[in-house]
Amino acid sequence: MQSYDLPTVFAIIEDEIDLNVLLARITLVSTGAAAIFTGIVRGETKRGEERQTEYLEYEAYIPMAEEKMKQVADEIRAQWSAVEGIAIVQRIGKLYPKTPTVLIACTAAHRDTGVFEAARYGIDRLKEIVPIWKKEVSPDGGFWVEGEYAPKAGE
Amino acid sequence: MNRVKLLFFAALRERMGTRTLDLDLPADLTIRGLKDKFLDEYPEMSESMKSVLVAVNREYASDETLIPLNAEIGLFPPVSGG
Repeated sequence: MQSYDLPTVFAIIEDEIDLNVLLARITLVSTGAAAIFTGIVRGETKRGEERQTEYLEYEAYIPMAEEKMKQVADEIRAQWSAVEGIAIVQRIGKLYPKTPTVLIACTAAHRDTGVFEAARYGIDRLKEIVPIWKKEVSPDGGFWVEGEYAPKAGE
Repeated sequence: MNRVKLLFFAALRERMGTRTLDLDLPADLTIRGLKDKFLDEYPEMSESMKSVLVAVNREYASDETLIPLNAEIGLFPPVSGG
């Protein structure tokens, strides 16, 4: 099947992430497996220095973010040709603990096709090149979380 | 002259106190030249500019990138989505 026939969903949204709707959009009649990653606002962090989080405030450079999400999907397809559907969705705005913030889902005919690795690559790559930022706010104040990756020109 | 639109995000937006800034640049300026000119006018941004990422017309650029006419130039910290 040619990749232009395959469903790719990418979006920056302000409303709740609807897993069922997204999953339906990336499920084909040949699909037998979906690997889904969701990031969630963590209210208590224990790794490293322990801290409490009241909420996260996300913003995005929306048109560029959606173009870069499309690029991540293209990179996934180039590495895992068995992947059928791909959904990459980031929710922005003020998000409180226990709320899903991001969803990466990949579907394939079977689970042993690299579909888990494809979804893992998707979230890792989103955190490198998709222009989205979060401010972490606690009772003590807030700070912008800064990533570590510096994309090359044209990347 | 080349009129470009700068877009600021996250910590840079807060520090600038604005989302956008229109700027007249000489023709054939590189991103390095833009950074120098910007820091001359906004020296208080020097700390924020140390780790800045630059996108020209929504594509990542380097210091050597030549700025096209009427470009949209995003200035922002390393990304932290997810």
